[in-house]
Formats: sequence, C-alpha cells, structure tokens
Amino acid sequence: MRQSILVHRNHFFLKIALLVSILAIVAYVWHQPFERPNGGTWLGYTLGVAAGGIMIWLSWFGVRKRQYGIGILNLEDWLSGHVYLGLTLAVVATLHAGFQFGTNIHTALYILMMIVIISGLLGLYFYIRFPLLLTENRRGMTTEIMVQQIADLDRELRQLAMNLDDATNAVVLKATQETIVGGSVVQQLRGYDSSCATAMARLFVERSESNGEDARRRQLLTRMVRKEELLKRMRRDVQLRCLLKFWLVFHVPFSIASLVALLVHVVTVFYYW
Amino acid sequence: MRFILRNIIRKSRGGAAVKEQIVDAEILLAGRGNDCGVHLPDPRVLLHHAEFTLRKGELYVAPASGADLRVNDNITQMIRLAKGDVVKIGPYDLIVEVNNQQGEVVLSVELVLPLDNDMTRIAAQSNIQTGHFSIRALSWGLALFVAVTFFTVPWVMSVFPDPGPQLNSQKTPLYLTTSTPTAFWSSGDISTAHRFFGEACKTCHVTPFIPVTDGACLSCHKSTEHHADPLKFQFASFEGRACQSCHKEHQGNRTIALSHQEFCAECHQDFNKNAPKSDLLAASDFGTAHPDFKPTLVIDSAIHQVERSQFISASPPPREDSSLDFPHDRHLRVTGVRDPVRGNIKLDCKNCHETDSSGAYMLPISFDKHCHQCHALKFDIYVPDRELMHGKPKEMFKQVSDVYDAIAMRGGYEEPESPPLIRRRPGVQLTEVEKKEALDWAASKTSAILNGRFGKGQCDSCHKIFETPASGGPTGTGWGVEPVSVANAWFPKSRFTHNAHRDTECTTCHRAQTSTTSADVLMPSIATCRTCHGGEHATNKVPSTCISCHGFHRKELDPMKQVVHASGVQPMSTVTKP
Repeated sequence: MRQSILVHRNHFFLKIALLVSILAIVAYVWHQPFERPNGGTWLGYTLGVAAGGIMIWLSWFGVRKRQYGIGILNLEDWLSGHVYLGLTLAVVATLHAGFQFGTNIHTALYILMMIVIISGLLGLYFYIRFPLLLTENRRGMTTEIMVQQIADLDRELRQLAMNLDDATNAVVLKATQETIVGGSVVQQLRGYDSSCATAMARLFVERSESNGEDARRRQLLTRMVRKEELLKRMRRDVQLRCLLKFWLVFHVPFSIASLVALLVHVVTVFYYW
Repeated sequence: MRFILRNIIRKSRGGAAVKEQIVDAEILLAGRGNDCGVHLPDPRVLLHHAEFTLRKGELYVAPASGADLRVNDNITQMIRLAKGDVVKIGPYDLIVEVNNQQGEVVLSVELVLPLDNDMTRIAAQSNIQTGHFSIRALSWGLALFVAVTFFTVPWVMSVFPDPGPQLNSQKTPLYLTTSTPTAFWSSGDISTAHRFFGEACKTCHVTPFIPVTDGACLSCHKSTEHHADPLKFQFASFEGRACQSCHKEHQGNRTIALSHQEFCAECHQDFNKNAPKSDLLAASDFGTAHPDFKPTLVIDSAIHQVERSQFISASPPPREDSSLDFPHDRHLRVTGVRDPVRGNIKLDCKNCHETDSSGAYMLPISFDKHCHQCHALKFDIYVPDRELMHGKPKEMFKQVSDVYDAIAMRGGYEEPESPPLIRRRPGVQLTEVEKKEALDWAASKTSAILNGRFGKGQCDSCHKIFETPASGGPTGTGWGVEPVSVANAWFPKSRFTHNAHRDTECTTCHRAQTSTTSADVLMPSIATCRTCHGGEHATNKVPSTCISCHGFHRKELDPMKQVVHASGVQPMSTVTKP
C-alpha cells in the first residue's frame, strides 16, 4: 500500500514544520517590543523574511512537479514538505503581522495567502478521503459499465412503456432520452439533478392511476428506481472527481496572485519606509 | 378490404429487405399498440396514432386525437391520399405505392429515424469528463488584478502631489474613507495626534525608500527637550537615535509615546550603577520598586533656598521653613472658627485651596482672598475704618505714620488718654508750636502702635519677625517681617492632577487636621498612593506607568535635536494657509 504523504519519511517534514512553528511562536511570546507587535520589529522582519521564503519555496512546487527527477528531493518529498510548510506559513505570517489587520495591501496579501492555504487543505482532504469514497461509490464498476447498465435499462423501460398509455410512454421516452449525468462544472459539482427526467418519470408513474397494467407498471417502476440509483452513483462519481480537480481553481490562481501581492507588499513597505 | 404492407428494413451494408404483410380490415389502425394493423413499435408513436379508411374507393388518413400526422411534410387532419403520398407517423414513413379502384392498397412502411444508441447518447449528452478549468487564464487574470489594483493605480496616484497637511480641512479624514489609493499601502492606522494629516504620506515619508528622518518630526516638534542634561549624562542624551526608534507610527489610533515602564527601567532599574553622579534613586515599578518621595523644600525662607534631601516619611519628618505660622488644626477644628461677621463657621479645605483652571494644581493662597475676612488688620479702635496694609511692611509703616500725622493735624481723636490738643474739636487752627507738639505725639503714637499689640504683635501672630538695631529695619523701628517662602511644588518632577482625584477626600492624602504648624509638609508618602496605584502591570490596583507621573522630555532642558530642514520638508506653519 502506498504510504500517505502525511507520514512520508517518518513525518520528516511534519517535524520541520512543527519546529519552525514552535520556534516562531516562542520567539513571538518572548519578544516584547514596546510598540504593538508588528512586521517592523527585528522579529517582525525575521518572520517576514521567513514567511516570504516559505511562500516562494511553496510556489516552486508548481515548477518542480513539471520537472522529472532532478534535485535531491523526489516529488513525494516536495509534496510532503509543501503540505506541512504551507501550514507553517499560516503560523509564521500571522505572527509576522502581529495579528494586525486593516484595509490595506498587507492584509490583502494575508487574505490571498490564507485562501491558498485553506484551498490547499481542502485539496489535501480530497486527496486523502476521496479515493476511498470513489471506490465505495462505484462498487467495483467502471463508468463504462454503469453507462452500459443505464443504456440497457433505458431499452427495457421503453419496451415496457410501449403498450402503456401515451402519457406514460411519453414521460418514459423523455426519461430515457433526456436524463443526463454531469454537465457544466456547476452541475458536476452539485452531484444531483433536481430536474432529472428519470426521477420525474418515476414520480409520474407512481402517481398516475392504474388501468389494468399493474404488473407492467411495477416492472417499469423497479427499473426506474434501479436507474435512479445508478444515476445517483454516477453523479456522485463525477462530483468527487470534479472536486479533486476543482480546488486547484482556487489554489493555483490565488497562489500566483499571492506572489504578486508579496512583491507589492515588500516594495510598498519600503517605498514609504 | 385488403391492405398490403411492405415493411422495409435497410441493411447497414446497403440494400433493403422487404417483408410483406397482408391485413384485411375496414379501418386500418396505425400505432404502437399490439392491436394496430400497422404496428409501429417505437415509443415516439402513439398507441393509436392514425387510421386509414377507404370511402368510395378513395383512401383517407386521419390522425388520432392530438396526434401529430404529416402528409408530404404538412401537418394535417383527415386527408385523401393519392399514390406517392408520404405519410409520416413519428419516425416512420408510410408511402402510398398502390391505391387502385379494386380496393387494394399497398403501403410501404419504413423506420427512417431509428432511436440513437443509448450509450453513445448518454455519453454525448452528459459531460462526465471533469477538470476542464482554465487555471492558467484565471491565474493571469488574478495576478494582473492584484498588480493593477494594489500597485499600479496607487503608485500612479502617488506621483501626483499630496494634498499636504490640511489643518483646518473639513474633509473626511483618510483613515475613514481611504480616499487616496496610497492609503491602501498604509501598514496600519495612524496615531491619534497625526491622523489629521494622515492622508499626506509625504509629510513624513519625504523620499521613497528612505526611512522617515528626524527632520520630518522636527518640522513640527522643534522644542522637544532632552531627557537629561546631555553634558552631565551623555548616555541619556539619546544621541544618534532617531525619533522613530521610540515613537513608532502606524500602530493604530493611540498615542505614539512609549508608556512601558520596562523602557524606563532599562536605565532606571540599576540607576545608581548607570548614573553614579545622579542623586536619583533606582525605580522600575511604581507598585514594587519605587523609592519614597523626597519633597523639594524651602530650607531658608529669607533667601528661598530649596533642598531635596529627606524622604517624606522620614523620622523626624522633613520641615519647611516658610516663615509663616499657620496651624491647620486650629482652622479645621470640628467645633468651627469664629467669623467676625457670620459668627461661628466650620472651614474646610476648599475654603482656601482652589485648583487652577486645568484642575491639576492648587492656586497660591492669598491673604486678601482667604485670610482677610476673619483676620482684618485693624490697629486702632478709634480709627475703625483703617487696616494695616498687608504684604508691604515698608508701606505699612508709612501708612500708620500718615494716619496719625493726619489725626494730629485734624484733631478730634477720641482716645481719652491722648492730649487735649489731639482731642480738640476739628477745625481749630494750630500755632506752629502746637503743630510741632501734635506731630511729636503722632510720631510717638505711630511707634507705640507699630511696636505694640496691634502692630508688631499682630504681624507676629502669623509671620516671623526679625529684629534689627533701633535705627535699622525698613523704617527704623527696629524690626521687620520675613518674606514668606513656600515651595511652588513639593514634587516638581512629577505630574499630579487634583481633578482626577476630586472624589477622594483631601484628608486621605493630606493630614491637615492634626498639623499644628505650617512647617509640616502635608504631602502623602508613596504608601498612600500605593493604596490605590500599582505598577503598570498591577491587576488589583490602578495600573500606573512611569509616564503617568513623570515626563520623558523635560521642559526645563534644551531641545533634544537641532532643527535641520530636511530637503523638501517645510515646517507645517509655512504650509498651512488660511
């Protein structure tokens, strides 16, 4: 079994991250400047340089993961370090700010950075949790098998509805032709379809008055329920796989924006020194 | 009637198979129902979709109620069919091939629009491929947004001149509106005193990338004094330290004066070691490490010599030589004192001690205002409208002499023991001899009054009298009144505000009821203050730091820094125009 990046190399990067965080916290508590703790004291500058360095190193992961087999650390080392030092950054940057926030570029950088860290945590959670959820959800089936099963059910449904009344036949036809899985990003992320044609058809059949075709209707219903169950799992599958990639929509652009904001932060702080 | 149906099935490789079916019926139904003569097994077809009938040898077709029927691509109701007409029922095309008068109809039936392959359709309709996000474009967009909003716009705006300090501006301050984009660069709220010009960054930040210089501070704060005499205490001159090394801006809406006792304690904790030449004692915390107070006292009222040597709680207690004799206890008797007009009245501290307009210190005591009402300086019951002039002994002696000279010249003096010449009826002319006799009387009477109970005796009840040879003294009477000399402030190096303590009884700190002499220094010891006040970090008392009582920049010393006009810095007074 693959070892999780969280326990990678016997928690090597966790230890480093904890060490840096604890050092920063101890220094912050010990350091009692006469003014409010801020980024301009010697400790503030030290923590700021550390935080900036960590930010740049974390961003370099984006470059490093596209290169193959260079350097002493392999990609798993990088990822493990990326996760733990990312969390350390939240500690160090907060202490650098001295818990002072305002309507300014400096706090803007902090917010951008925290969005990156939180989205990264979310991504980490997805990567740890979702493989299991995906496997459980699929119950040994592939997407192709599920689609095939749905197609088979559709054929059966149409066949069964053929000799039923026109209204029933129409909704069943609609259910077999207009039911979709996934779709736009929003639909994919939603994981369910509130106007699912199959669900509508089932409700219609459940509620419509019977006129002597009870056995056929029951057969129709059981197949539609089965199809809905398959649809639910397929949508969940799409949702999970989409989420696995979607967090990067926040993580990457905001990390690039953070780097720009970092540059602006440093320049402006010294522009009006 | 006979219908021949030719079911055509197209092959995927081309060509077609035709399956003939003969249906004998009067009315030929078409639909997906099993009972239909033309059985069209497709869900898009209604159960009973249409019916074909022959009337008088003509073939007609009619849709079932609500059914969609097209003949030659026209949606129609009942219509007569001719050979070659194409009837569309759902995905099926029915073509009339033969329609002869023998009542024989041949219809070809073909499924021209078969249903899609379900799998392909599901895959086509559903987007189950994930991860099509344009992260790169988003990254570029966001990065550009940050660069433009947070840097480019403020920087371009900063190139335009700052509005400059607006002392009387009615504009809403920057920190409320962030009206100028460079406010977005501010690292924190500006201190209370500097907020009014806070939007003008360049007032202090004169040159980009150069830290704020003292010149910017001194353009307003020219006279800020030294902390200690720089000639005596070089190390306390703070030479080479910038103003902003202590006064940190952008720390929020508060003062930027350092108030931490630890800052003072850095030097004052081991003060005797740090400054052996100083007579100050070590202090680092008002509650636990601060010496008792040493009052600055007048030790010789004649020459106003002051000294600061004894602790207030020393035994025997320090005494002040003010040359005044004022017993507080007798004036504050619970039974009251006798007022010549109002009778018996009870005095309290406020009858004599009033705070100045700032509410901080007590105004000096004035004889006319505070003593005179009871202590009228009358000196002769036969001259009831005259009182001794207070505070000016020389003039007073002259005044008494003038009073009796005038009486001698005028006559009518009613004292029985005086000579008849003086008691004469006013208006009687005197001879030269009599005049001399009268003036001799006046001189001796003046001397008797001045040296007697209502002259010297009356002065002596409150003041110290000094004796001189008979011909000496201000008027040659042989005595004088020593000037009163009271310290202006017994603790001149501390600040105290009576107003802040106005709800406290005066006697809590000043034990005046039991003081029998004005030599007593009725000031509290540090123990009294400590009943309420503790050090800066006190949790069970009023936290009081060093600068709660002591100032850092001492007003009596020279300015700490030479005013050098940094390039571009103008003193604010020249910038502000009405």
